[in-house]
Amino acid sequence: MASIDIQDIRKSFGAFSVLHGVDLTIRDGEFIVLVGPSGCGKSTLLRMIAGLEDVTSGDIRIDGKRVNDLAPKDRDIAMVFQSYALYPHMSVADNMSYSLKLRRTAKEKIASAVGGAAAKLGLDPLLERRPRALSGGQRQRVAMGRAIVRQPKAFLFDEPLSNLDARLREQMRAEIKKLHGDLHATSIYVTHDQIEAMTLADRIVAMHAGVVQQVGTPLDLYDRPANLFVAGFIGSPGMNFFEGRYLVSGDHADLRLANGVTLPVPRRAGIESGATATLGIRPEHVVLDAHGALEAKVDLIEPTGFGIIMHVSIHDVPMKIFTLDRAMLDPGPAVRVDLPQERLHLFGTQGQRVE
Amino acid sequence: MTLAAHPHAVRPLRKRIADASEPYLYSAPALILIIAVMLVPLVLGISYAFRDIQLLNPLSGGFIGLDHFRALSEDQAFFRALRNTLWWTGASVFLQFLFGLILALLLDKPFAGRGLAQALVFLPWAVPSFLAGLNWAWLFNPVIGPLPHWMHALGILDAPNNILSDPHLAMWGPIVANVWWGIPFFAITLLAALQAIPRDLYEAASIDGAGPVQRFLSITLPFLAPTIAITILLRTVWISNFADLIVVMTNGGPADRTQIVASYIFTQAFRRLDFGYASAIALVLLVLLLAYSMLIVLLRQTLLNKG
Repeated sequence: MASIDIQDIRKSFGAFSVLHGVDLTIRDGEFIVLVGPSGCGKSTLLRMIAGLEDVTSGDIRIDGKRVNDLAPKDRDIAMVFQSYALYPHMSVADNMSYSLKLRRTAKEKIASAVGGAAAKLGLDPLLERRPRALSGGQRQRVAMGRAIVRQPKAFLFDEPLSNLDARLREQMRAEIKKLHGDLHATSIYVTHDQIEAMTLADRIVAMHAGVVQQVGTPLDLYDRPANLFVAGFIGSPGMNFFEGRYLVSGDHADLRLANGVTLPVPRRAGIESGATATLGIRPEHVVLDAHGALEAKVDLIEPTGFGIIMHVSIHDVPMKIFTLDRAMLDPGPAVRVDLPQERLHLFGTQGQRVE
Repeated sequence: MTLAAHPHAVRPLRKRIADASEPYLYSAPALILIIAVMLVPLVLGISYAFRDIQLLNPLSGGFIGLDHFRALSEDQAFFRALRNTLWWTGASVFLQFLFGLILALLLDKPFAGRGLAQALVFLPWAVPSFLAGLNWAWLFNPVIGPLPHWMHALGILDAPNNILSDPHLAMWGPIVANVWWGIPFFAITLLAALQAIPRDLYEAASIDGAGPVQRFLSITLPFLAPTIAITILLRTVWISNFADLIVVMTNGGPADRTQIVASYIFTQAFRRLDFGYASAIALVLLVLLLAYSMLIVLLRQTLLNKG
């Protein structure tokens, strides 16, 4: 177990720069999720921590020790790959004990470590099998078993659940969370799936285009997204945005949309009157109310079983509403809605959150 | 009534025959071609082994049973050729494989100009074997070739002589030419197999603590094993039948020191014109190679089942 300290890490492949100075401090035992769309640099960052990619500039410290120039095997970390990367010609037991054998660990110690990990992951009946005789979920478990037998300082997960079907992903997600609860091992988990990020993380690091957008607890990111990217990335269905001009008149403020419609917004100190701004509200926070202030034309109804996603438009601006009200399965041509002031997010000209 | 009933009784029978023979008729053209092209020559060739066929003797052609095989069992030249074949095949395959593997491992690493290097490596394979043989024969010739002088300067040879005329060294000439000519085959097939190994296995192993040697032994080699088995099988059969270089470079000499079974068959058939005896030798070679192939195929099967 160890803390990991990342200072101003940069990475470029030739002239192409993929990470533009990342700073991150991971506390001992913390579960950190790096989340972002494909190509945002999250996997590259993880691979640099693992030692599989060279660091262009900056420092990585594990447990206070600078590891930039250490080989992967000397960093005392374990990694779980998306493809599992199990050795196909070795049995499950051999896969799990390979690292211990290479470190010339005593036989009894190997047996007890493998036995302990297998018991924890329910792999006991599979120890003599070869990976190709296992299902995807079982392979995933073996890959995690291979990581935990060594009791490394940190676990690195590179999209470990992406190759599983939805049901299995849900199940393994819970197992990873439980495992972390048992082991309290420092973990860094890379995913593009915001549900995995929200459910697993102690803190989420949202990345975009090689830059960290926001670091915080899952609820921080959900309740107070730092910018438009985070606001749009976290949450499903995604947040609704209205672009316009922020205008103050007297003691109240409005957002004037391009088509001339004005929406009342809370007054914020961080933005000048007349500046372009974006208003955001999550679909689940839009209130359906027969006496609501706004009329919304209904375009499409998507029942999900649990709730209903309504695609509507307010003065020709498209918007989504999420509701649990089954009466909305047949809402008629239009509904009336309210946008509660306390649920509104306001973003400035640069897309940054305005308080 | 009978006229009306009769065709009803016959038609189903005809139709039944037609139905039953339909698949055979469809496959017949292909089967007949395969039999004509592959099996007939094989059976004819095998039958020669039991007949007395000498082109210069118009009275020959009769069935003589196992006489050729009896003669063969006392033919010292044949046993020498058999030993030479082992030597020629073993050394050629081993060296081709070794250099091919090294080359494939080098070409697997990215470097500037790799595409060009891969194309150049393939070049010897495109040289006709007779041209390769002539070229190497000239290289070994001290009058026009530099190799004897270089080897003399390096102390490998006592004097800058032609090794092709030295009974103790002559076999090395065709072997060197064969290795040069055959490396690309191993390099290209092994390179293809290497590139099929998932990269993250190496990454997982390096995190697990495996050094380059351990990574090679526990990932590369097990992955290559089936390919290695099948390429070595192919090349062994191929090279033991491959007399071109020997015929061109030494013609089996000096004093039969480079005569292999394949070139011995060639000599018997086309120099002595004794087709019967040549066929008998060929049959023995065929049986030996079949046995060898079975062995390798079994080995490969067990390897694949294990993996």
